[in-house]
Amino acid sequence: MAVIVAERPCEPAGASRPVASPAVEAIGVSHTYEGRDGVAVPAIDRIDLRVAPGELVALLGPSGCGKSTLLRILSGLIQPSRGIVTLAGASPAAARAAQGIGWLAQDDGLLPWLTVAENVSLPGRVGRRRAAVHGGAVQAMLRQVGLEDSARQYPHELSGGMRQRAALARALVAEPELLFLDEPFASLDEITRERLGDLLLDVRAARRPTTILVTHSVVEAARLADRVLVFSPRPARVIADVEINLDRPRRHDQAGFGTLVQSLKIELAGSGNHQ
Amino acid sequence: MTVPRGRDESRPYRFGLVGARFIAPATSAPGPGATSGLNRLSRLIPTVAFLAVILIGWELAVRLWQVPAYLMPGPSAVGARLVGDPLFFGREGLVTLSEALGGLIIGGGLALGTGLLMAQWRWLERALLPVAVVAKVTPVVVIAPLFVLWFGFDAWPRLLIAALLAFFPILIGAVAGLRAVPTAAREVLLTLDASTVDEVLLLRLPSALPQLFAALKVATTLALLGAVVAEWVGGDRGLGRAILLANSNLDTTTALAGVATIASIGMALIGLLTLLERRYVFWQAPLDRS
Repeated sequence: MAVIVAERPCEPAGASRPVASPAVEAIGVSHTYEGRDGVAVPAIDRIDLRVAPGELVALLGPSGCGKSTLLRILSGLIQPSRGIVTLAGASPAAARAAQGIGWLAQDDGLLPWLTVAENVSLPGRVGRRRAAVHGGAVQAMLRQVGLEDSARQYPHELSGGMRQRAALARALVAEPELLFLDEPFASLDEITRERLGDLLLDVRAARRPTTILVTHSVVEAARLADRVLVFSPRPARVIADVEINLDRPRRHDQAGFGTLVQSLKIELAGSGNHQ
Repeated sequence: MTVPRGRDESRPYRFGLVGARFIAPATSAPGPGATSGLNRLSRLIPTVAFLAVILIGWELAVRLWQVPAYLMPGPSAVGARLVGDPLFFGREGLVTLSEALGGLIIGGGLALGTGLLMAQWRWLERALLPVAVVAKVTPVVVIAPLFVLWFGFDAWPRLLIAALLAFFPILIGAVAGLRAVPTAAREVLLTLDASTVDEVLLLRLPSALPQLFAALKVATTLALLGAVVAEWVGGDRGLGRAILLANSNLDTTTALAGVATIASIGMALIGLLTLLERRYVFWQAPLDRS
């Protein structure tokens, strides 16, 4: 099995690829926020990126480099200081209403006073896309993430891994076309983390929502992503764009996997010298 | 420390407005922190023991030094006065209780509404908070006669004074609670394109409940106090009036029996609030319980 690791550093991500209409596009996005003492802190520096429909792109970078801020800018939660973001040609706000954005962060964000099933059915209660949650969707989602027996339990009765499963079910129950993940499994142990990574690939297999995964784990990016964008330390810049053509499911002992992880680690380590 | 509770499996998990959800019966299983009945009783031992030491010491001191009853009656005399005329204390206590509760509802409702608006718009907080502080620090003995002049001698001035005292702690609790929204849950709602009303009903109000309960406990005692003080100034009913009359007659025994009645009412209300808190804030330990 041939392993192709294509590298195109410091170039608009995906620019040379024949993409009709990117699902996610950022042009010249920079963001600066005001620090505690009123000093402007640059978080993101002139980022261009393109993500094709159905693609799973990992944003890999050192902790605190600004990649989570970038994800919030892409989803429209934060307005960038400069630059343009479009989701399938529309503004993030319009895209939230039209296509839906599934959101899952390191903190599960489950409402502690609602049961698991109530939490998962939340997308059917609010917003203009509530109709997208059809009857039986909640049950089906719970089954898919293996929580059908915990439907009536409350979040504080579940383990961390189960809570992330519930949050993943909530993110996908309205069948969004975009799935944004911010270090979703970072607080879990290694084994649970791998299992949930596999689960993520399983549950998105049917409809293949365009997925952006923010992570600081090289192995996680290598196991899950179609493409990895490597970021520099703050202010974040894209320093490498690595396409992964390895068969799935990917295993650590698979031919080419070790080389891939090594090359990503070298990119990440090299990024530190830019400072 | 949280203890998983038993769940009523027959309860449907569909949920409507947040209010409807909170009316849904909770199971009878104890909330976090609570354990078996025996354990709960044993927790009362320090309270009861301390109270007993105080009462016995007081009784002994009064008898030993033969203190006259108009200076300080013993607890047995106060108890005898209470038992001797339960209807009187019950009736006057009910008047004060209804004034305090009415004030709590008026003041608490206004404070919650104002808090909701203030949490949404910070400029409103900057505009209104100084006024609320001034109203709060102005002594009741100054406000009460004015309220009597403005609103007459019926129950209104007493209700409004209780409301005024209850307003401030609930306002502060509401604003703090409504602002301290869990970021992750809020981001989920924002990406779901939830409206501001949805955000308030589904997230802000429920997550403010612990702080609202803490504020409600403070406000309840203040409303009771406000009702009593208002009765001193203008009123022909209530425990405050009874205590004032007893004082002017040097009937200290009746005055202290009135105080004991107020204390019982206050403790009963706080106890009730604690029970409600355990039931509706089952997902975390109360703020004021270690």
